[in-house]
Amino acid sequence: MLKFPRLLVNHVKALATPTSSSNADYLSQQTRIVKLFSYLFLFNFLQNTFILKRRNPVPLHKKNSKPHRLRSRNFIYDLVEDTNVKKKEPLDLILTQYVAGLGNVGTRVSLHPALAYPKLLLPKLADYATPENIEKYKKLAIDQENDKPFSSSLVEKTMKYLSHKRMSIVMSKDVPWTLEKWHIKANFRKAGIYLPEDTITMPEKPISGPNLDLQGKEFYVTITINNREQVKVRCCLHHWTSESSSQLRVNEFWKLPTDPIFPEDKPILDSLSPFWVERKKTTHF
Amino acid sequence: MPHISRWSKGIGAELPKEYKKFWKEWKLQQPAAVHYIKKEGIFERNEETEEIHLVQNVPLPLIYPKEIDDGIWGGEAIVQGFKKKGRFKRRVPHFWIPNLNKSVVYSEVLDTYMRVVITQRALRLIHENYGFDHYLLKWRNYTYCNIIDRYIKFFSLITYTPACDLRSLLTLKLKRQILIALADKTLYLNDPKKHTEVYAKYEQYLSAYTREEIEWYGLTYKEACKKWMKLNEKPPQPLKIQYRSELIAKLKENKIKEAENVNVVSPGEMSSWLNKLNPFSKSSKT
Repeated sequence: MLKFPRLLVNHVKALATPTSSSNADYLSQQTRIVKLFSYLFLFNFLQNTFILKRRNPVPLHKKNSKPHRLRSRNFIYDLVEDTNVKKKEPLDLILTQYVAGLGNVGTRVSLHPALAYPKLLLPKLADYATPENIEKYKKLAIDQENDKPFSSSLVEKTMKYLSHKRMSIVMSKDVPWTLEKWHIKANFRKAGIYLPEDTITMPEKPISGPNLDLQGKEFYVTITINNREQVKVRCCLHHWTSESSSQLRVNEFWKLPTDPIFPEDKPILDSLSPFWVERKKTTHF
Repeated sequence: MPHISRWSKGIGAELPKEYKKFWKEWKLQQPAAVHYIKKEGIFERNEETEEIHLVQNVPLPLIYPKEIDDGIWGGEAIVQGFKKKGRFKRRVPHFWIPNLNKSVVYSEVLDTYMRVVITQRALRLIHENYGFDHYLLKWRNYTYCNIIDRYIKFFSLITYTPACDLRSLLTLKLKRQILIALADKTLYLNDPKKHTEVYAKYEQYLSAYTREEIEWYGLTYKEACKKWMKLNEKPPQPLKIQYRSELIAKLKENKIKEAENVNVVSPGEMSSWLNKLNPFSKSSKT
């Protein structure tokens, strides 16, 4: 598909500007026409569906007269191309408002038409990326710079991901410790989440150990994304030692509901998204 | 002997030239090459024999079923023909039918969503023209036989879609509604800001039509005839009014006493006999 047919048409128009009808000019005019129609041919060719071809072409007819009557052999067709099975070109769009996972106003996206048309174009979340629309929505994006709903397109998804987590904070059973930011950072890293220390806000009261009363109990830390959005992530303390005989083993600890370390945190922890949802078993016959 | 058709006799002959123009554009104009590749140029050279001969494009005969009027097929139609798989195989009849999908289109001028039956080609054309309204009002059209003709007509016709490429009644009716809304400025009446914005966007397409042409655009032959009959309808005038006034005039001429104070009643005043039955009126007119 052509990205900017309008521009192309302008180009074609420029090609085909009328010239004086003298004989000397005729040749250049001819080449222009040929060039012009190569464009037009391109347009037509790209848009067809069942493209057929006569196996036995119709014989030439006289100038300025009707074509010959078609014989049945002229109705034997060969399929040249079926454009319905051809890969579709992505659509160039520009967002008119914030769309989760895509971006804020004025972001240009390129999507498959089967997805872009029902999900973005019809609900008016996006518009075609014409030069006028690009100018219009870029201007709108600059005006709305300060009251963006989210700082980035993927923030919403990240927040949802983090709020569903219960991080295991694994601490030593032998060596005395007080919980610090780098402990949290290291334990997040184990789960594949990389964050700098200055984004972590620790609980107000210090937690120190080893203290087996705190084993398997919950608390929360607050994580700041892009210096703006804040997510509370629940954490669960666990004591670990290298000596295998005295290691604590909890079966299916990821499913177990636990108590908070600080009783005043209970309403906040309860309000967070569930960390474990039992999947329904489906029976297959 | 002249050929008698519905355009040479009866109401068809009386129809205005605006409707005839639309009919020509709809039914007689050659639609764009959709189902075959059009050969370009004036002459063609056979590379093997080095023969040069003229290029003539004979379009494939298409079938337009009645279902086409309920959908947006984007110029596609049914092709009836034969398949022949090998030299010693019998030819087998085959119909090439476009794939129809259910989808939704949105018209910005009418501000409505419509559930329609549509082909992938039509959707592609909508995307290429940046919207359904643009597609209806404008589409590139390059279907002329003579190359010089093409060269001249290219500029005049680039701005609007001929009715032969829209083909279906549904699209033509929608185009008619859009054109009427643009010509009468009856779009977004509650929202003046949107009104000016949308009108400025589509104003350019109005230049291709006069108001009278829009009035007759997108009508079937039957509808056009009914419209014409309704326009030229004259309510039958009862003869008694005419005879009565003639009689009174004659009596006045002859200076007969009884006729002196009686006025000639115009037919407009005599509109309904119910007026005479009014029991509260003190004096009757006659």
